[in-house]
Amino acid sequence: MAIDTTIYVRAPSGASAYLDGLQMLTGAGLILFMWSHMILVASVNLGPGAMNTIARFFEDTYMVQVGGPMIGLTFLLHFVLAARKVPFRVEQQSTIWKHSRMLRHTDTWLWLVQASTAMVILIMGSIHMWTVLTDLPITAAKSAARIQGGFWLVFYLILLPMVELHVGIGFYRIAVKWGLIGRKRRKGFKRFENILTVIFILIGLITIVRFMTLST
Amino acid sequence: MGRQLKFHIFRYNPEDTNSVPRTDDFYLEETESMTLFIALTRIREEQDPSLQFDFCCRAGICGSCAMVINGRPGLACKTLTRDLPAEITLMPLPVFKLIGDLSVDTGTWFRSMNEKVGSWIHNDEAFDPDAQEERMDNALAEEIYELERCVECGCCVAACGTANMREDFVGAVALNRIARFMLDPRDRRGEKEYFEVIGTDEGVFGCMGLLACEDVCPKELPLQDQLGILRRKMGWSALKRLFRVK
Amino acid sequence: MDTELADLLCIGAGLAGERVAIEAASCGFKAICLSIVPPRRSHSSAAQGGMQASLGNCAMGAGDNQDIHFQDTVKGSDWGCDQEVARLFVETAPRAVREMAFWGIPWNRVVPGKSAFFKGGKEYEKVEPKENKGLITARDFGGTAKWRTCYTSDGTGHTLLYTMDNKVVELGVAVHDRMEAISLIHDGETCTGVVARCLKTGRLKAYLARATLIATGGYGKIYKESTNAVINDGGGAIIALDTGVVPFGNPEAIQFHPTGIVPTNILVTEGCRGDGGTLLDVNEKRFMPDYEPEKAELASRDVVSRWMIHHIREGCGVKSPYGDHLWLDIRHLGERHIKTKLREVEEICNNFLGIDPVTQLIPVRPAQHYSMGGVKTNKDGAAYGLKGLFSAGEASCWDMHGFNRLGGNSLAETVVAGKIVGEKIAEFLKGYDVQFKTASVKDVADRVQERLERRISGKDGGESAFEVRNAMQDELMERVSIFRNGKDLEKAVENLQGIYERSKRVGLRSNGIGASPELALALKIQGMLRLAICVAYAALKRTESRGCHAREDYEARNDRDWLNRTLATWKEGEDLPTLNYEPASGVLEIPPGDRGYGVSKIITRDGETTGA
Ligand SMILES: Cc1cc2nc3c(=O)[nH]c(=O)nc-3n(C[C@H](O)[C@H](O)[C@H](O)COP(=O)(O)OP(=O)(O)OC[C@H]3O[C@@H](n4cnc5c(N)ncnc54)[C@H](O)[C@@H]3O)c2cc1C
Ligand code: HEM
Ligand code: HEM
Ligand code: SF4
Ligand code: F3S
Ligand code: FES
Repeated sequence: MAIDTTIYVRAPSGASAYLDGLQMLTGAGLILFMWSHMILVASVNLGPGAMNTIARFFEDTYMVQVGGPMIGLTFLLHFVLAARKVPFRVEQQSTIWKHSRMLRHTDTWLWLVQASTAMVILIMGSIHMWTVLTDLPITAAKSAARIQGGFWLVFYLILLPMVELHVGIGFYRIAVKWGLIGRKRRKGFKRFENILTVIFILIGLITIVRFMTLST
Repeated sequence: MGRQLKFHIFRYNPEDTNSVPRTDDFYLEETESMTLFIALTRIREEQDPSLQFDFCCRAGICGSCAMVINGRPGLACKTLTRDLPAEITLMPLPVFKLIGDLSVDTGTWFRSMNEKVGSWIHNDEAFDPDAQEERMDNALAEEIYELERCVECGCCVAACGTANMREDFVGAVALNRIARFMLDPRDRRGEKEYFEVIGTDEGVFGCMGLLACEDVCPKELPLQDQLGILRRKMGWSALKRLFRVK
Repeated sequence: MDTELADLLCIGAGLAGERVAIEAASCGFKAICLSIVPPRRSHSSAAQGGMQASLGNCAMGAGDNQDIHFQDTVKGSDWGCDQEVARLFVETAPRAVREMAFWGIPWNRVVPGKSAFFKGGKEYEKVEPKENKGLITARDFGGTAKWRTCYTSDGTGHTLLYTMDNKVVELGVAVHDRMEAISLIHDGETCTGVVARCLKTGRLKAYLARATLIATGGYGKIYKESTNAVINDGGGAIIALDTGVVPFGNPEAIQFHPTGIVPTNILVTEGCRGDGGTLLDVNEKRFMPDYEPEKAELASRDVVSRWMIHHIREGCGVKSPYGDHLWLDIRHLGERHIKTKLREVEEICNNFLGIDPVTQLIPVRPAQHYSMGGVKTNKDGAAYGLKGLFSAGEASCWDMHGFNRLGGNSLAETVVAGKIVGEKIAEFLKGYDVQFKTASVKDVADRVQERLERRISGKDGGESAFEVRNAMQDELMERVSIFRNGKDLEKAVENLQGIYERSKRVGLRSNGIGASPELALALKIQGMLRLAICVAYAALKRTESRGCHAREDYEARNDRDWLNRTLATWKEGEDLPTLNYEPASGVLEIPPGDRGYGVSKIITRDGETTGA
């Protein structure tokens, strides 16, 4: 129509777009970090020496001292951004819960998994980072001692699958949300992603076992 | 000879003060090529004339008969009972206002959705009755048609966890509609106008990529792809705005 | 009772109703549309094939013009149409198509170069001209001399209706969906609105309007097997008949479609045959060329339907639990063609039959499809009998279809008539004032309320509305279908009158609170029976064969006695309609002649008998 009858003009704001973009970027950044992290820690499987050397390298270059808190910040930022989507009201929680049970739809379930693992990661991840970063330097021996103490064993056995699930699902989600994976390739990509998650959990488990058997 | 089918059907008539939400059971013998349209019509005519549900075209074209069939939103008229187990649970679509039993008010929802996204060709020029039509590439026409096939059944909205949790989310159907007009050169809206409509958390950035919409759409619209395209386009549009020298 | 005021009240929000509303709204009038279902669910959305307009852009439509379209329409109608109206129609159709393009229809366009097409099972080649690239193209349809049917893949009605409703939303025209008109408000001279029942709450509501339009579509659901939607049960026809003064034109003119799938009667588009699909019998032998050597499967649909029934009666049908049927074969069109151009057909076969038309045959048989008859109007769309009442679309008898409408001409009619009638209504409204009499509103409302309460209380008896309706549907299907004869028709009228008596004793089994589907039917079942009797009785009286009205006992078309139009009215208290007749057409631009297909026995106006 020729006549504009709107009485107010909403200033076009890009806020939602920026926040969504940032959520994706922090998520992607954390994924990259977690993959590297898992591989670095898994280097203990090649022998404690390998892990120590790598850890030394990162510390000598101050990447741990600077990078560590950076990761911590990214972690927090990602949490703040993603929390916008998490249903905190009981009413919403019950809606989405009933909805998912009714629908029996994998991708909807996966989101629930993502949202609930997130809460665990938030708490356990923070504790873990605090512990490691306040007890530098990182050495295979110290790690092994921690894990052989028992408490950290249980701790990691819980955190590991949580993180890997969250990361895996997040990876898949970024790809479909931003259209990097189209409808034709979705199924194949999901399979690929599942396999990846399983592999990472396996590597993690092997690593834990290695720490258990490492004589300190 | 046919199977004995058992239907669990949600019942509630909000207009009747004596009515309480409940589930009623009905039994029916299955016949060949039986669709839920045939089954429900028979139940109403032979067992309970008060049963409310909606059918119109009974040919999967009009979108009237969407309901939750064994947990999944779908068109009842194009669901063959032979594709279902012998126990069939029917519920009304969530998100939409209940009229009674399996019948919900999609009309009001969709009208306001269409108003919200400005679902029409925006063009200030006047139609010239004597001029030849504006030319268009046939491939483009078919591309537009591909997105215009939506029948506004509401399945994608009902299946979307986001739409269930957040009333203000416009849903995949609205985003797909915008994608349709973006393709159309006759619509003179620019990126900025589209951004104002869907570049928000009620629009494309509210979508969490649950993809139930894609998986239930009875017309198999390419919702996943369109949502992806829109998110990228709107993301770009916001970036450009960020770096534009004022 | 809630009351709402408007300049124009459109009963019906299909293509016709909305097009009229748009015209009035554009002229600054307040228009409201009522609809049983949300507007986009109206049955216009089911039309797959396309709409006719003589653009002549595509190679096979080259040289087409309004005169040829006019000839096709008049011949198709078997000279039963009003030629003045048909002329008006063909002149406006091209503009209407272009206007719809301007509003957003993604019409299929001309793609230059060579391409193959099928006709009657054989492959031919055509070359689309370069200079027409990107103009609106057309496909072939039964009964036309040129390719003239504009389309959007297999969803023409869908895209038309969505685009139309988009325009309605843009203009802010109110559509009250789930609002069913129950009775017209009138004083015997002027119509001033309706009393309607809300199908969400069950409450009554009055709409007062200076002009009222009936655009309620077809009424095929008085028949058992019909391609129409379940809501097409004649609501508009009924309230018009109820007035006792508004005549119903040509109720006996009912068209059957050759290819409804068995058992659900869902239509597979004529485009199937247009693109080269063939009909096979029990021996998988093609039989149409034996009856119609030239046009074969592409002859007009009444001719094809009739030969199909004939062939089945000869014992050549395929036996099935749902009765005998024939096969439609589109396998040779190829997977690509079927999956793109005929995708909806493929979907229908997969979803409703569980077969794949690329490799399998489709079970089909004729089903009721279109009602040419309707509320009789003049060429401006104004109904006979009541001032302020108009009608358009399938619900009306404008009358450009006569005794057989051509495929693709009815979608075109809705937008063309919608435009023309809309303009005329706007003109009418400009100089028109009317007093809304509260007494007559109250009177109508009270009567509806009383009828409603009687049905709920079961005061008149306990007949089931569903059973009564089923009895009526069976009766029409059995004795008033494609082949008709005096004996059966007489029996039908008698039986229908018996069922009519039962309809007066309908009482509810449910409590009738809220939308109550049972109450909705109980309120109109009596009207449906009146309509059914009009069809049967008018068919009985018309002792000739014309278009789709095929009498076995009067095989010839009789221009001497029957070149006219039936006008049926139902006076209150009577148990049969009053039938009057008017000349089919004021002007005879094309004098009655041979249709060029079908049985062509004709008694001319001079009384001579020609043809077989
Ligand atoms: C399966 C099928 C395929 C077809 N294919 C073609 C084709 O390819 N080409 C072609 O030209 N034609 C085709 N037709 C015919 C054509 O689609 C219709 O004639 C045309 O769409 C009718 O439009 P309409 O606006 O008159 O009515 P409809 O679109 O039927 O609309 C009727 C409106 O009236 C409302 N209504 C009805 N009763 C009441 C009441 N009592 N109170 C309030 N509202 C009421 C309804 O809710 C609806 O909104 C086809 C028809 C069918 C059934
Ligand atoms: C190592 C830590 C983490 C990694 C690698 C990670 C990774 C990701 C990724 C890649 C996504 C997808 C992003 C998107 O869809 O845009 C995601 C989403 C999400 N993350 Fe994390 N995340 C981590 C920690 C957390 C924490 C601590 C929370 C705490 C609340 C959290 C909550 C969420 C939520 C709720 C989503 C879903 C958001 C949506 O669907 O839009 N994540 N995460
Ligand atoms: C910069 C920050 C981080 C550093 C320096 C770091 C370092 C380490 C180290 C040294 C170990 C070996 C075990 C131990 O010493 O206790 C370890 C294990 C682990 N870390 Fe981290 N980590 C960091 C961040 C994170 C984050 C953010 C997460 C997830 C939320 C995480 C999850 C884990 C898990 C699950 C293990 C067990 C590994 C396995 O089983 O292979 N870490 N980390
Ligand atoms: S997009 Fe699909 S599911 Fe959603 S309303 Fe349209 S047809 Fe229905
Ligand atoms: S289900 Fe909902 S969250 Fe997005 S991908 Fe579909 S709209
Ligand atoms: S009744 Fe029209 S889609 Fe099911």
